[in-house]
Amino acid sequence: MSDTPERPARAIKLNVLNEPKDSYTGGKSSLCPGCGHDQISSVIINAAWENGIEPHRVAKMSGIGCSSKTPAYYLGQSHGFNTVHGRMPSVTTGAYTINKDLLYIGVSGDGDSASIGIGQLIHAIRRNMDMVYIIENNGVYGLTKGQYSATADIGSKKKKGTPNKTQPIDLCALAINLGCTFVARSFSGSKKQLGSLIKAAMSHKGFALIDVISPCVTFNNNDESMRSYGYVKENEITLHMTDYIPHFNPVEEIDVPGGHYRDITLHDGSTIRLETISAEHDPESAIAALTALHAAEVDKKHVTGLLYFDNTKPSLAEDLGLVDMPLVDVPDHVLRPGKDTLDKINAALHN
Amino acid sequence: METIANDFTINIATANGTGSQSANLILLQSLFEMGVPVSGKNMFPSNISGLPTWYIVRLSDRGYQAPGNRTHIQVLLNPATWHEDLESLEPGSVVIWNENAKMEMTRDDVVSYPIPMSALARKINPKIAKLVTNIIYVGVLAEMLGIDQAELESAVAKQFKGKTSAIELNITALGLGRDYFKDNHSKSDPYVVEKRAIEKPQFFIEGNEAVALGCLFGGVQLLSWYPITPSSSLAEGIINYIPQLRTDDDGNTTCAVVQAEDELAAAGMVLGAGWAGGRGMTATSGPGISLMQEFIGLGYFAEIPSVFWDVNRVGPSTGLPTRTQQSDITMLYEGSHGDTQHIVLIPGTVEECFEFGWRAFDYAERFQTPIFGLSDLDLGMNRWACEGFEYPDQDMDRGKVVRDRDVFEAFEEFGRYLDVDGDGIPYRTLPGSGMDPILYRGTGHNSKGVYSEKPHDYYELMQRLKRKIEGARDILPAPLLREETECEIGIIYLGSMENTIQEIDDILEATGIKVSQCRVRALPMHSEVENFISRHKMTIVLEINRDGQLYGILRKELPNHLITKVRSVAYSDGVPPRAGIYAERILETLKEEVE
Repeated sequence: MSDTPERPARAIKLNVLNEPKDSYTGGKSSLCPGCGHDQISSVIINAAWENGIEPHRVAKMSGIGCSSKTPAYYLGQSHGFNTVHGRMPSVTTGAYTINKDLLYIGVSGDGDSASIGIGQLIHAIRRNMDMVYIIENNGVYGLTKGQYSATADIGSKKKKGTPNKTQPIDLCALAINLGCTFVARSFSGSKKQLGSLIKAAMSHKGFALIDVISPCVTFNNNDESMRSYGYVKENEITLHMTDYIPHFNPVEEIDVPGGHYRDITLHDGSTIRLETISAEHDPESAIAALTALHAAEVDKKHVTGLLYFDNTKPSLAEDLGLVDMPLVDVPDHVLRPGKDTLDKINAALHN
Repeated sequence: METIANDFTINIATANGTGSQSANLILLQSLFEMGVPVSGKNMFPSNISGLPTWYIVRLSDRGYQAPGNRTHIQVLLNPATWHEDLESLEPGSVVIWNENAKMEMTRDDVVSYPIPMSALARKINPKIAKLVTNIIYVGVLAEMLGIDQAELESAVAKQFKGKTSAIELNITALGLGRDYFKDNHSKSDPYVVEKRAIEKPQFFIEGNEAVALGCLFGGVQLLSWYPITPSSSLAEGIINYIPQLRTDDDGNTTCAVVQAEDELAAAGMVLGAGWAGGRGMTATSGPGISLMQEFIGLGYFAEIPSVFWDVNRVGPSTGLPTRTQQSDITMLYEGSHGDTQHIVLIPGTVEECFEFGWRAFDYAERFQTPIFGLSDLDLGMNRWACEGFEYPDQDMDRGKVVRDRDVFEAFEEFGRYLDVDGDGIPYRTLPGSGMDPILYRGTGHNSKGVYSEKPHDYYELMQRLKRKIEGARDILPAPLLREETECEIGIIYLGSMENTIQEIDDILEATGIKVSQCRVRALPMHSEVENFISRHKMTIVLEINRDGQLYGILRKELPNHLITKVRSVAYSDGVPPRAGIYAERILETLKEEVE
């Protein structure tokens, strides 16, 4: 008999499905140490775990780029598709028509979404397809070693080269103008805010876009860059404190010192609670959201939080008029009409 | 005068957007109902209204369906092409022309029937005189050729399905045309229509509609498409039949339709559907396939079942959008960058359009790869006689997809790209199942689907893909052979050339040359094609393009000793193949051999 004392049982936290967080992790990241994208991956893992998503019921979608490699690093029990550059939205649309019951989480970058894939992003928003669309936005192309992307801010300078002079595309402003039903901006360093927003996006029915400033530590983290950790921390304007209360928890009344809060009920019954910091932001007003974005741009700041929300629009599944059962489960004999039906068609064509 | 019955070509020259198409279809349908073997070709411009259009009706007791080598009866309405059309006629041809077109009859060596078509049409209804003018010439032709009034009226009823006022108006207009000819002209041409017994009842249908029906009976679950001539009517055919074929009592459907923002997105959606375990397809033409190349490569490399129909039009670039060609063969077979090889199904009849419509999905899931259907404008947008479609003779083939955990767990080792059976076709699981969850990718991967740059992994993967597609050769539709016992000359051809081949064969036979025929119906080509070549002294590959694309594929794949036995005859001018042109070129090629 060994005289080694028995190890005390380690407490493992389980979520509402009795799953440990390990059920939601993925492979080891091959991104640069300190990359903002890895922080976002860990937030995705947490969000899925805390939300009690079945670990195999997610579809992880991505395009091409540093960000698009990350689906390998989270939710290892789910299938994923690392597609082609900028075209993840269309692949997701096709998959969604066949299995509308999966939770689609798309991860993209600024090269993927603001340049080559901007058309597909626009049309996915227009269709209000049910998906969470996270843009890991660092203002540069990493895999090709540091060229400016279309979201690089004017006057911002990456590690090598001259300051960017070309007008950036603000993907949140674009999305709001397109009538996107959930538009948020966050920062990879703001784990709590980002976590709440991702969880809320998972509970939303329709297209949820979260533009996350995610510094590139290798090519764009210098002091002159407007997307470095230091700059974003100094220049972030937070619209509100965000809290997420899942539908399986009771919503509690809380004290908000010196301010107000606003609860928004999401499609699955969960709540996102927005606590006012200074001035109140009305997320159901596109004008307020666009004003906040514009003001921040003028001041060379980054505004974060839930910019815009609209739960009145039908999602793509409703528009398509599909049967309730996901098409992937519809049996062959239903998919192929019977011989009598073909006989009728032949007869009608003969007449 | 000796009469010529059921062996002539009518060419009707109008402008598009004037409503001539419905008049032409009434003419075609009434001849068809009289049992006369007839074909119609619409030569229309890429334009909404006002540009020249020709409709060519060929009557042929021998069953020739090509436009024919000359026009016997010219109907002239369009001032824009008036002189060109007149000048191209052989002496003795018949010209039915609109006297109100303010144009002159400049030929005195033709049989001329002037008709005040516009004036007659105005008598019926001045507001729609332009539309009615077209039906007037059908009445004139009916009287001149002896088309039965009953068949005409039945064709009108079919065209305007239940629209009583339109039916009445058209029948009145037909009568005016008939009466004018009867009262003002005496027939001085030899052409007549004779009724033929109908042995097997047939109907007319466009290839695109036949493919659409086939796809629906193939269980299509997603159609994503971007409008492009000449494939739009294929997609719209599916959309039109969904309420009848794929919608439940509550009005909900089992076939999603998404009109994509472009062809790239259409292809992406098809792949997404296949990845998720569904049957997705798109319909497009060459320019669309050009745009889809990136996704086609992803489909090949990540092994995603997917179906792409290409209704070939004239390229390169925007080309001639409303003309026909067989010029996308190479692009489909070797589509996308890197080493690829794709399965291509090539129907030559409307019956095959239907059959390959449903089979494409079975092959896609069986071989887990993009499948192309290659039709063309001639087959897709013109009407062809059909006895009826045959119900699929086998259940849907869903391929090696593992849906049950018991089955999954019975595998000793599972890898998405593991060649368990030695046929190059791996097993797959579906998203949402939790079984073997992998991140599909267009990057290099090992047999487990994990990213790999290892030389061995890449080499083995590419060899397996090759083996997989090679394995399809003798499973895909075999060529159709019509062989002569002499086995001197063989002709290999494909697709819509089916409708011209017999006329070519007859022209060649009239010069004393007997040829065997081999119609290729799929790529990679069946081993029977090679056997056909080795049996014959010489084989000519006949194609509607400039470069001899199928010939090029054969040269690449045939053993050396057979390559020297194969010749190419490729020709394309945008017009559906006329037998004379191809026969002449075949004869030239044979002559060169003798010299």
